[in-house]
Amino acid sequence: MAAIELRGLTKRFGSVEAVRDLSFDAEAGRVTGFLGPNGAGKSTSLRVLLGLARPSAGTATFGGRRFEALDRPSATVGATLEDTSVHPGRSGRDHLRVLAAAGGHPPARVDELLGTVGLSDVAGRRVKGYSMGMRQRLAIAAALLGDPEVLIFDEPTNGLDPPGIRWLRDLLRAEAGRGRAVLVSSHLLAEVAQSVDEVVIIARGELRAQGPLEQVLGREGGANQVYVRSTASDRLAEALGRQRLEFQHAGADALLVSGASSEQVATIAGEAGAPLLELTTRGRSLEDAFVELTADRP
Amino acid sequence: MSNLLQAELLKLRTTRTFLALAGAAVAVSLLLSVLVSALSSDISEQDARDIVTFDFTGLFILVLGAIGMTGEWRHRTITSAFLAAPDRARFLIAKLLAYAAAGAVMSLVVSVAVMIVSMVILSSQGEPTISFSDALDVLWRNLLIAALFGALGVAVGAVLRTQVLAIVGLLLALFIVEPTLAAVAPDVARFGPLLGAPASLYPDTFVGGDDEVLSPVLGVLVELAWIASLSALGALLLNKRDLT
Repeated sequence: MAAIELRGLTKRFGSVEAVRDLSFDAEAGRVTGFLGPNGAGKSTSLRVLLGLARPSAGTATFGGRRFEALDRPSATVGATLEDTSVHPGRSGRDHLRVLAAAGGHPPARVDELLGTVGLSDVAGRRVKGYSMGMRQRLAIAAALLGDPEVLIFDEPTNGLDPPGIRWLRDLLRAEAGRGRAVLVSSHLLAEVAQSVDEVVIIARGELRAQGPLEQVLGREGGANQVYVRSTASDRLAEALGRQRLEFQHAGADALLVSGASSEQVATIAGEAGAPLLELTTRGRSLEDAFVELTADRP
Repeated sequence: MSNLLQAELLKLRTTRTFLALAGAAVAVSLLLSVLVSALSSDISEQDARDIVTFDFTGLFILVLGAIGMTGEWRHRTITSAFLAAPDRARFLIAKLLAYAAAGAVMSLVVSVAVMIVSMVILSSQGEPTISFSDALDVLWRNLLIAALFGALGVAVGAVLRTQVLAIVGLLLALFIVEPTLAAVAPDVARFGPLLGAPASLYPDTFVGGDDEVLSPVLGVLVELAWIASLSALGALLLNKRDLT
């Protein structure tokens, strides 16, 4: 049974279908990226998963149990949500103390986590004066309070500066390394691409793809292109044509070959007696593939 | 439940609103009791009893309860509250109990402070004061009303959800609706949650006259019924709501 399991999840608001028949798993020991453009239904799915909203159909469970049915929710699942707010008049430390008390976690965890997220120096200050990045770190500390088996972070890079994003990346990897199931949502592929093992991509409330990032976004297999420059590009073009390979001219002496490896192109060029000036593999960028995959469909 | 209750009590102690309003309750009650007892002369035993047992806590904790509950929506802290306590009814019960406890503690502080100060002033002026057993008799009534009002404020906040609406609604009911009803239809008004039922514990304060007041036991039961039904409605609304 997967750490997180969504099966046929649908959420309607009146006549609007925010999430439609969404199914995916997130496994322990792995970071799963939950990606999609703004308004794709990511936050709605997470809110249903966390028992904050009711599903219109389908189920969302942790190890087979709904969030509301967990014995100690905050010791099983830790989550940050995009619009979770903190009482502006309460200090960061007091905010965590309240949550630690509610979850039955030892008070010593509070100072330990304030240190982990780098907020020890400002822990006594009222949250009103916190920057967005500091609030994000405080939310992450709150999620970690119960040392839960499952971590859910909704757009966690919002407000974080570049060192903060790197810190978060390391944290996600470290938690997965400890066997935690980590589900992290983002509308920016680049911010999570380096830390995820798997991706689940949704758009307009529907699943568009899931699996390992490279595979899903088509960097494996035949999606690559080979950029080749030769002093005899015409001869190379003829040879490629004879092999029925697709290519296009990319400058006076350059060709862009599709559906072939760089080794194949080098061999063909050698046989055709076309001296090479340059030979590089060009992957479709992950971002391009992501945008294509999440584009509106007719 | 004890974890949630502890968390709610901690929430109370860690915001300035609560500390400020609790301080104001003590200050206002003390100020009035000092003024009234210092300016009084030739007062009756009943007057002395009124002065010495003066306690404003009920009004303050009522408003604080409504602020505490509606503040969860206003500051959008309701999400983290529900993540910590997915059972929303339990969350509401913890809040009801926390504000009831806070009301009783506040009332204890205010009542004892007022009693000591006013008794010292009255006796220094040679005016009558009240006996220890009389003081105790009033003390438990003050504490009970403050506890009930704390919970009532939370219950009203759970139903109305909007802070301004809840506070204005409570104040309108307290200062206009119930007094008017007491003057017009005391038979109905004695079941009111803010004046009618509480008056069962302070019979001489009811506008409708002593004859109309409920017995203390019935009064407390009516008050509890108000709290229970408003809380049930509040829990129903909380459960139905999607947090998106």
